[in-house]
Amino acid sequence: MTMRLFINGEERSAAVHPLTPLVDVIRDELLLTGTKSVCREGFCGACTVHIDGVPTMSCLLPVIAAEGKAVTTIEGVGGPGNMNAVQHALEEHDVVQCGMCFPGMVMSMTAYMERRPAAPRADIKAAMSGNICRCTGYERIIDALLSIAAKEDTTA
Amino acid sequence: MSRTADPAAAVMDLPRRDAPDKLAGRTRYTVDMAGPGTLHAAIRRADIPRGRIIRVESGVARQMPGVRAIVTAQDAPGTHGIGISDHPLFAGKEIRYNGEPIAAVAADTLEQARAAAAAIIVEVEALPPVLTMAEALSPSAPLVHEGWKDYGVLFEGGARKGNIAWEAKVVRGDTDAAFARPDVTIVEGCYEVGRQSHMPFEPRAAIATFEDGRLHLVTSTQVPWTVRAVTSSLLGIPSSQVRITVPPVGAGFGLKFDCTIEPVAALLAWKTGRRVSLANSRQEEMATCLCRENAQIRIRSAVTTEGEIVGREATVLMDCGAYGGEQIFLTTMTAHTLGSNYRLGSVRLSTRAIYTNTPPNGAFRACNGVYNTFALERHTDEICAAIGMDPVEFRRRAVFRDGSIGSTGQVFEGEVLVPMIERMEALKQKSGSREAEAGGRLYGRATTVGSWFVFVGPSAATVNLNADGSATLVTSGVEIGSGTMVQALPQIVAGQLGIRPQDVVVKAADTDAAGYDVGVGGGRTTVSLGAASVKACEDVLSKLLPVAAEMLQTSQDNLVLGKGRIEIAGRKGSGATIASVAQRAQALHGPVTGSGSFTGQGVPSMAGCAMGHFINAIDIPIFAVHDCEVAVDPDTGHVEILSYKVVQDVGRALNPRAIHGQIQGGVVQGLGYALHEDVTIDAKGRIAQDSFETYRIPLAQDVVPVEFELFEGAPSIGPLGVKGAGEVPILNVGAAVACAVANATGKPVSRLPLTPPRVLGLLVSDEPPLDHPHIGKDWSSNVIALPQSVRAG
Amino acid sequence: MTEANSGSDVLRPITIAGALDALGGGRQIMAGATWLMRAPVRGEAPPKAAVLIGSIPELQQISIGQDQVTLGAGVTHTKLAEALAGVPALKGLVTAASRAANPPIRAVATLGGNLCTAAFAAGDLSPQLLALDARVTYATKDGTQDMDMSQFLAARGNLSGGLLTRVRIPLGNFRSAHARLPLRKAGDYPVAIVSARMDQNESLMRRVRIAVGSVEATPRRWSGLEAALEGQPYDLKAIADSAGSLTNEFTGRDGVEADGWYRTKVLPALVRQVFEDLSMQFAERP
Repeated sequence: MTMRLFINGEERSAAVHPLTPLVDVIRDELLLTGTKSVCREGFCGACTVHIDGVPTMSCLLPVIAAEGKAVTTIEGVGGPGNMNAVQHALEEHDVVQCGMCFPGMVMSMTAYMERRPAAPRADIKAAMSGNICRCTGYERIIDALLSIAAKEDTTA
Repeated sequence: MSRTADPAAAVMDLPRRDAPDKLAGRTRYTVDMAGPGTLHAAIRRADIPRGRIIRVESGVARQMPGVRAIVTAQDAPGTHGIGISDHPLFAGKEIRYNGEPIAAVAADTLEQARAAAAAIIVEVEALPPVLTMAEALSPSAPLVHEGWKDYGVLFEGGARKGNIAWEAKVVRGDTDAAFARPDVTIVEGCYEVGRQSHMPFEPRAAIATFEDGRLHLVTSTQVPWTVRAVTSSLLGIPSSQVRITVPPVGAGFGLKFDCTIEPVAALLAWKTGRRVSLANSRQEEMATCLCRENAQIRIRSAVTTEGEIVGREATVLMDCGAYGGEQIFLTTMTAHTLGSNYRLGSVRLSTRAIYTNTPPNGAFRACNGVYNTFALERHTDEICAAIGMDPVEFRRRAVFRDGSIGSTGQVFEGEVLVPMIERMEALKQKSGSREAEAGGRLYGRATTVGSWFVFVGPSAATVNLNADGSATLVTSGVEIGSGTMVQALPQIVAGQLGIRPQDVVVKAADTDAAGYDVGVGGGRTTVSLGAASVKACEDVLSKLLPVAAEMLQTSQDNLVLGKGRIEIAGRKGSGATIASVAQRAQALHGPVTGSGSFTGQGVPSMAGCAMGHFINAIDIPIFAVHDCEVAVDPDTGHVEILSYKVVQDVGRALNPRAIHGQIQGGVVQGLGYALHEDVTIDAKGRIAQDSFETYRIPLAQDVVPVEFELFEGAPSIGPLGVKGAGEVPILNVGAAVACAVANATGKPVSRLPLTPPRVLGLLVSDEPPLDHPHIGKDWSSNVIALPQSVRAG
Repeated sequence: MTEANSGSDVLRPITIAGALDALGGGRQIMAGATWLMRAPVRGEAPPKAAVLIGSIPELQQISIGQDQVTLGAGVTHTKLAEALAGVPALKGLVTAASRAANPPIRAVATLGGNLCTAAFAAGDLSPQLLALDARVTYATKDGTQDMDMSQFLAARGNLSGGLLTRVRIPLGNFRSAHARLPLRKAGDYPVAIVSARMDQNESLMRRVRIAVGSVEATPRRWSGLEAALEGQPYDLKAIADSAGSLTNEFTGRDGVEADGWYRTKVLPALVRQVFEDLSMQFAERP
């Protein structure tokens, strides 16, 4: 079946079974490989995309459920030269290591920090319980995210 | 600015050049590279732990839609291994572990390949498996390798017998006499740890093509040259006909320090003439993970009331799984971990790698050091309790000093551990205690020491000084996430050449372009690739400086380099840009290139006291002191980390911020090992934890910010005095947590991980102390008896 | 194209009646999809035919009345927690919905999915709804059936051809609490769950309901403990002691994550936690 997606502001289509996990369509059909397929069970968060702005695990979402909605992948949020606040903070704090978890981490935390820009450390950690990182030990990611609010405070 | 580059010129918090792309999802890892038109491969694996293969029939599968080729043991009959060549690519006649590859399929789509792999008929006769080391050592145990005597031995010196794949021994001094002394307290303990699964986000993956008759493998590996050697040998083609390139690796942690699935992809590419992609599914990755091995340990020590360890005997059993692999080599490390840290009057160590019908194990960040440090430090605290000495005071008295002799007779130089302990005491004093946060829970704290090493070994580097003043560094180094390729190496080259690190282009590993390298692991990258790079830079300067001296009408000795310029010492603003000198040199003599190489020089040990060791003495020791505070919930067994502190011996900190990242990440991986990450083998010989659901790695809420201090200045043969900083942070985490939990609960903590059920079990039951009946109390019963003729000789 | 690949095997009705008509033909009901899409991880075939019920407005309804709360079965954990945050009596349910799994899963996993997945022993909502005396409505082509939670949980493995449409929770002068024990701080499924509610009363514990989840394959009420506490004065130590003496009412299931003995052993601590929470809620009341 042809599935029609509105992804990163573009109409795209793919001839796949409607219950194909969205992550497979994004990666294998649309060749947007920034979204990572790691656990395929909704625990690691590496495949997180936004569906109508809501962070969603694309490994557990049948592609048909994304039809008629706005899908945003990591390729749609910004890149070198026009990084968003979360990406900026993570770069500035030298947090990245292997990098495989970060596309999903950026998607989850971008949505969260927009909703709760002044969230305290403990809340950010709780919000991150669906994003696993095997390299960094998290704390420096949290430091980076906290710096966003701190920076806005001083510029305000 | 200095001619002999000031090491300080290389010290900076250089940001990672790969971060923007990684944060934007633009980085292409091996798993992202298959693309359209590539065949996909799937592996048919054994579903029993031990059996005889009667028939493999792939005719029907071959006719299925999209199938392009099927390969089996007949296509790659050879074996490979580290130390012992015992490991075939596919099970041919015998199945030795559940999950072992039997055949592989390449098809147009992954679904088709998987369907065909499942359709291959595999007829087997199941045999009773050997699933534990205790079973493997029983006299009546079946042999995991009936033909063990006939295997090729790639490294001489280890004793072998039946299910004992390898045995390494240390014998120094007379322990019998030490234990017989009337003035000693004898303390004995048994310890046990499970496996640890690496869980890199990128699984092992490879893409193979044949290009102009040569094999090209794009692979997610830490060891391009090992992959080149093993693949060529299994395919029966010259190694010069194999090219390995390595994109950014989605983490390794040691899992990718061996060749695994690459030859399978290569065979399928060979058979089909097509580009073939093979990547483990998460379930395959976990079922066949080359885990940190499970181990069982017995230690016995004779200690005076003053805290002098006059005798120590220990036996370590390491489960290598179905094939020897890395564990053969790692038997060496007991001498340098369990046998290290403390001054020992006499010592006997036996380390045995044991074959079982379980998935093979491998290397994992600080390998056997992590659990030997756990066992040693728990044992040390038991000694302290037995002789009534404060644990920190005992360590102050008993650890290595300048000139102390290690277990194999190596002389350790410099005062390192004692001042590190003092630094930790000061840090503890400064930060205070978090006992109040324990609330109604049990509170405990412990400080532990540990020692590890840099796995030096050969590396090569080429530096091209380009006419635009930039430099290109060509090595076989791989960026696995630790940052060495994007931080330490360009910093070192820039410091040597007097240019900016952002003007150093670092080429990713390509065995067609760079010289041999042992691989990225063992804390060696900055040290060995760094040292080779320094030499390559010296070679560049030997060509550049004469040209500069002539241009500037001065002698070479007067020249200093920095900020992209070569100037006359003491005359700021004199001289020329490095680019202009490079252009001049290129015009006169051709492009400026330099090459350098490095290997460990070898450190003497005491003759005759280490047997079966791949490394008798270590070139660069690394020490660490960790401190941990815990709260234990007496009702549920949950352990909360209240604080964690590290004092780490780094030699010289080139990029302190990057080291911070390694310390925080390594400690947290250690917290996973200590508290959460449990691997168990089920009745069918499978690893029971096959998902992120069941294998619990720490999440953000389970961790704390690590307080740390970098201890600089300890002796190191590394370039600019550096030591590897990325591997060692995990070293004593299991030890520190276990000792703190023991102090909190008053219970003998002898096993890791300390999952809530295990801790609650300790609290509510009165189990007798752990014992390993299959490790004899008499040390000499734990070594393979030498033949009479050898003994006499 | 094989039949399994044809579009008619995946249907997206917009009414409950449409959904009931769509059932059959091997189609599974798919709401948040978080369980069914994990089939390959469990070694099962990926779903190929389904009735997606995410577009049925009726299943998304939430109504908060004087006497009862009605929740459509398609309400997600996140929506449920947000909608009921202002209902003091249902704090336990809010806790259950806002701590289960992880944030992105909570955003899609539904109430109905959580209740209908018989193979998922560690769901947070079922024990809480048991304790709250909730009733469910199960619709078939022949009409609707009204069941209490115990009946539903006993029957759910054998129900077919119908759809769980809504859950009704009676309100009253009571408070509720929910304690769950994951092995990490969060993010894994709890190895044991205790849900409880009781009436506000000046001195004695009344209409005590306690339900236990994740310990056995199916959550159920802890009737012995309910009876032991009913009408007794509130005494945290006595409550925990009673729980300790009655854990043998349960036989913990052995799992990869924890053995059965552990699941029952921790119950008194969870009971103490919920009753502590209840007493604090009573102390807070205006």
